[in-house]
Amino acid sequence: MKHPETVFLVDDESALLKALTRLLKAEGFAVQAFDSAKKFLAVCRLEGPGCLLLDQSMPEMSGMELQHKLNQEDSALAVVFITGNGDIPMSVRAIKAGAVDFLTKPVNDRELLQVIRIGLEKSYVMLAEKAEIREWRQRHNALSVREKEVLLHVARGLPNKQIAANLGVVEQTVKVHRGRVMSKMGVESLAQLVLVAERLKLK
Amino acid sequence: MTAAASLTLAGVHGFVWLRQRRQMASLMFCIMAMGTAGMAACELWTMQQTDMDSYARTLQWYSILRWLVTLALVGFIHFYLGSGRPWLEWTVCGLRTLTMLMNLIFSPMVYYSSIEELSRIRFLGEEVTVVDGIPSPLFIFGQLSLLVLAAYLVDATWRSARRGDRPGAVRMGLSAVFFVLSLSIQMMFAVWGFIDMPIVASLFFTGILVVMGIELSEDMLRSAKLAEKLKIREEELLGERKLTDAIFESAPGLLYLQTANGDMLRWNSQHQRVTGYSNTETLQMKAEEFCLEDQRKILREAREIALQNGGNDLELDLAARDGRTARHFFRMVAVEIGGSPHLVAVGIDVSSQRALEVEAQRQREQMAHIARVASVSELSSSLAHEINQPLAIILSNAQAAQRLMAREQPDLDELREILDDIVKADIRAADVIKRLRSILRQGKPVLETVSPDALFDQALGMAEPEIKSSGILVARKHSKKLPLIQADRIPIEQVLLNLIKNACEAMEDNGTREKHLSLSCVIEGEWLRFSIKDNGHGLNADIDKIFEAFHTTKAHGLGLGLTICQTIVRAHGGKLWAERNKSHGATFHFQLPIIPENL
Repeated sequence: MKHPETVFLVDDESALLKALTRLLKAEGFAVQAFDSAKKFLAVCRLEGPGCLLLDQSMPEMSGMELQHKLNQEDSALAVVFITGNGDIPMSVRAIKAGAVDFLTKPVNDRELLQVIRIGLEKSYVMLAEKAEIREWRQRHNALSVREKEVLLHVARGLPNKQIAANLGVVEQTVKVHRGRVMSKMGVESLAQLVLVAERLKLK
Repeated sequence: MTAAASLTLAGVHGFVWLRQRRQMASLMFCIMAMGTAGMAACELWTMQQTDMDSYARTLQWYSILRWLVTLALVGFIHFYLGSGRPWLEWTVCGLRTLTMLMNLIFSPMVYYSSIEELSRIRFLGEEVTVVDGIPSPLFIFGQLSLLVLAAYLVDATWRSARRGDRPGAVRMGLSAVFFVLSLSIQMMFAVWGFIDMPIVASLFFTGILVVMGIELSEDMLRSAKLAEKLKIREEELLGERKLTDAIFESAPGLLYLQTANGDMLRWNSQHQRVTGYSNTETLQMKAEEFCLEDQRKILREAREIALQNGGNDLELDLAARDGRTARHFFRMVAVEIGGSPHLVAVGIDVSSQRALEVEAQRQREQMAHIARVASVSELSSSLAHEINQPLAIILSNAQAAQRLMAREQPDLDELREILDDIVKADIRAADVIKRLRSILRQGKPVLETVSPDALFDQALGMAEPEIKSSGILVARKHSKKLPLIQADRIPIEQVLLNLIKNACEAMEDNGTREKHLSLSCVIEGEWLRFSIKDNGHGLNADIDKIFEAFHTTKAHGLGLGLTICQTIVRAHGGKLWAERNKSHGATFHFQLPIIPENL
């Protein structure tokens, strides 16, 4: 069984890095291990796909801090925490910040591999989503200023008449703009358009 | 008249003597007065005699009475002043007795060898009989006895005056001497016939009697006054006694007055209630007999100290008659009564207090045990990392090995490496568990040589996330060359970590004030002192209470952290304490002994 995806390990305990590397390699994963968050950041591309097995308690930069950094960088890497002394508030924080799971040491191989698989799937999904959003953003950028205004009003759920009044044009003009926005954005229904606007966080 | 006066005086003092048999002076006075009365009677008799024979017979009686009176006078001085020289007394008595005997035997006429004639002369308006005769040479003995008597009186008076215990002695003595000398002169004049006058010795003796009588009366007056004073004093003493009795009884515990060697003089009724010994029994016992046998020596020593230093405190088990014992606290105060040292001792029953203390101690121990058990959870969060880490390494290695084994041609070198790593991790886990158990059992720490710097590094490493996320500025100040110390690494790291975490939490609400955490490690003689200083909210609570189990100021916390820390530090022979900073926050210090490496 071959996996093209890489599993990244970040843990300050080198003996554990070694053990996990052996296990995952035996399972056929490509593994990259780092004994600090900084080294990981210096070396790796964060776009994904991939799964990051991250120790929480480390000197200098903790696992949580690294996760925050990845979120800022809009990374598509799935994060799985693995920690020796986790507690509930900590795990809740991690999950809220998008972690796939929060495992405690020692972790069983079956559980670990399953979570890694889920993480990789999630990474693909995130990657796909990010690609989709990137596409929509490009299409959105291609809209004219007036079309963007109309899209914003439509996304807010205003009727054509109201939009026309707000923009100081006749209703017919709004209808024309709306049709053009739909075709430029590549959507087939109003519902889809609203959803895309939502995803692009246009408000 | 003289006789009547003398008899009256004799009656009065005879009565005094009868009432107080020990007043020999009064008896002597009484005898002397009666003798003088007899003498006066004889003199009166001689004055009226015309017959020579009866005159001589009367004189013989007279001589006996004079002997008696003289002896009584000497006796009086002897008993009253008590200052006469015995040899003078014997000389006076001897001479007088000799005179009397010789008068009776050799000289029927007493003062005269022969009486020539009796003539009637007028004396003080009365017609009285006087003798014309040749004075006897024996008469000189009588005169001599008078002179010796005078000398005796002067001497006794002089000695008594020097002693100063009889204020009227001089007056009385000198008057008596005056009368004795006057008598002697009158006798010489009368006997040798220079003047025609009868012998009136009784008059002079009456004079002496009066002087003595005055003295005795004053004496009686004085003793009456003294008696009055004594009575008042006695009443005062009685009042005082009642007061001290009340004080003794009002004491909430035991109260004793003892001699320096423990004889019981006074005690209150509480004593009988507590010990069960009656007053008669107590009187025959020594203080130490009321306490347990093995404590008697302690009491005796404590008593010596109390006598030397003026006071002493001690605690003893009082042993009651029925064998029950009760712990008492005693305070002894030394007091001098009647010139000899005594002890006043107050005893308070502290057995219930002690029982409470024992119970409290038991509870403390129980608490400490609970604390140790509960500390598993407290410690587990940080120790879990220590234990779980090797476990994770073992598990992952083992599972990797399983996969390698499943291959057709397993890589044996790799498998060997994996097994080596498993062994290492296993040893590490066992080590941690051993340490954990040693903490929980409060056993002896497993000492190893560690560097203080490494301890700080490790603890700071573990607290790093918190320090970072709270934006705390850390400063480290160390002595230049820190020695290596012998310590149980993990528990001491836990102590440091705990104190650092506490400091971080204390600074959470600092607001705009910068959060400063200062760590220092300095050599202090044979100690190495670790200090963790913050500028947080400080210690509001009682500074001693913070080390008690279950005392906490945190919303979430068992209040065991510092208790455990203290247990750990104490197990190392060190101590842990806290102090408030001058401006903000608190500083926690703990000392560990520097153990020389060659030991």
